[in-house]
Amino acid sequence: MNGLGVRTLFSKEMRRFLRVPGQTLLSPLITTSLYFLVFGWSLGSRIQEVDGVPYARFILPGLVMLGVVTNAYLNSASSLFVMKLQGTVVDVLVSPLSYAEILGAFVAAAVARGMVVGGIMWIVGALFTGFGVAHPLLALLLLVGVAAGFAALGFLTATWAASFEQVNFLPTFVVTPLTFLGGVFYSASMAPPALRWLTRANPIYYLVESLRWTVLGRSDAPPAVGFAIGGALAAGALLAAYSVLRSGWKLRG
Amino acid sequence: MIEPVVRLRGLSKRYGDFTALDRVDLDVAEGEILALLGPNGAGKTTLISIVTGLARASAGEATVLGRDVVRDYRFTRRAVGLVPQELNFDPFFTVEETLRFQAGYFGVRLASDRLEEILEALDLAGKRHTNTRALSGGMKRRLLIGKALVHEPRVLFLDEPTAGVDVRLRQQLWAYVRRLQARGTTIVLTTHYLEEAEELADRVAVIDRGRILLVEGKDRLMERQGGKTLRISLGAPISGLPEGLAALGARLEAGGTAIDVDAPPGGSFGPVLAAVATAGLPVGDVETRRARLEDVFVSILGSDPGAAP
Repeated sequence: MNGLGVRTLFSKEMRRFLRVPGQTLLSPLITTSLYFLVFGWSLGSRIQEVDGVPYARFILPGLVMLGVVTNAYLNSASSLFVMKLQGTVVDVLVSPLSYAEILGAFVAAAVARGMVVGGIMWIVGALFTGFGVAHPLLALLLLVGVAAGFAALGFLTATWAASFEQVNFLPTFVVTPLTFLGGVFYSASMAPPALRWLTRANPIYYLVESLRWTVLGRSDAPPAVGFAIGGALAAGALLAAYSVLRSGWKLRG
Repeated sequence: MIEPVVRLRGLSKRYGDFTALDRVDLDVAEGEILALLGPNGAGKTTLISIVTGLARASAGEATVLGRDVVRDYRFTRRAVGLVPQELNFDPFFTVEETLRFQAGYFGVRLASDRLEEILEALDLAGKRHTNTRALSGGMKRRLLIGKALVHEPRVLFLDEPTAGVDVRLRQQLWAYVRRLQARGTTIVLTTHYLEEAEELADRVAVIDRGRILLVEGKDRLMERQGGKTLRISLGAPISGLPEGLAALGARLEAGGTAIDVDAPPGGSFGPVLAAVATAGLPVGDVETRRARLEDVFVSILGSDPGAAP
């Protein structure tokens, strides 16, 4: 194993996103603060409680999930895509790093960024709602697994993409709509029938509900379903990214 | 026999119906500079890409220091350095960070004295903490060479290293390549600039449409293919060649004011000069011209039966 090689690639990826903290860290901090000001504080005073939980506290897990998956995805996607665009992907491809080592370093750094951003969002939110977490280790496990899955999806997308528009397709047109319609701001059981059906057909809903269970100790859907979906997503996306990298598609001639 | 540093056997690469490399056999000996010459699309970059791990062969075998480049990729990639044709840089990092990262990918901790040595040699010492985005084109080109050298490869592949580089920098890079060779690095160089191959190479491989047409020592190649031409400028024009000179293959040129004679390979101009003296011709000047690699290259490509008309 090329341990130093993996650590170097991981460290380079970490430094890359830490070089632009305004974009990678401050931006989600401001967005989360705005969510809590608008939904938690302003609207929350009218909604009061959802299923016996203060509204601001109810929406926090979903927002953290959105932050974690978006940032994990964007880190590997934008980094690999810029490397392709600038030609620096050659530097890694000619090195003695194995496919698993390359993918592992990219995914680990992307998960780290997702968790840092998710952590910042949670701290900001917790200032409004309190810091209690019912099952902290399971919360971490779920978030790391889901972040790894989305990091691998970002890697796959960047391998395929020929433009930034294509890189942004998944977060803009898939992840954000599915997350907003995945019960981040509402409880499926309280939604109108059509929205309830739509919500329960949405895999992100189960991830949000499982995270809600780990934080609040209660959820609208069985927590095991979200863990199963998260595990399957991580395993499937990592395997697909590894296979594509190994095949050389779009990266090696 | 000494094992070649790079050995290619039956190496082919196809992209759909297009054959980029066609059963290439090639050996690169330790310590030599081999110039891979060929027109655009001849297969030079494809060949280098297969050995360095950027592309996969459709058939055949490539080994570096006796190890297969696919099966033993960790070993062979540590032995090989690549200066790619396209300039690349990571706008997030400085020159020093870029070199340290590249060394790290190869499992090497870049010692400070080695870093300084590379920076000095490539005239980048003053740019150590400069963001790579702010480097000039020439500096970026030199940084590419630095990146290829951080892990001290036994073989260095330079893919058109001086494309778009000014004359001064080209001279600097050539001097540096010679220094690397003197330290024992084997170098494979692709170039459009025949002057570059003529200046640097020990051997020349001519490649066209994926096939190696010829591999030969540069001097021997020029001797064999090109030979020398003797030009005798006359003090006054003559209307026809004396018989003795015509029999030696001389040609009357420049409106009867000059005589050209091609020397046979290894042959001497003695009989020609003797015939000029016997004929009592008014000699103004005598010069010899050695064929340049460019002439040889054009003649080889021209004699390739598969070459496009």
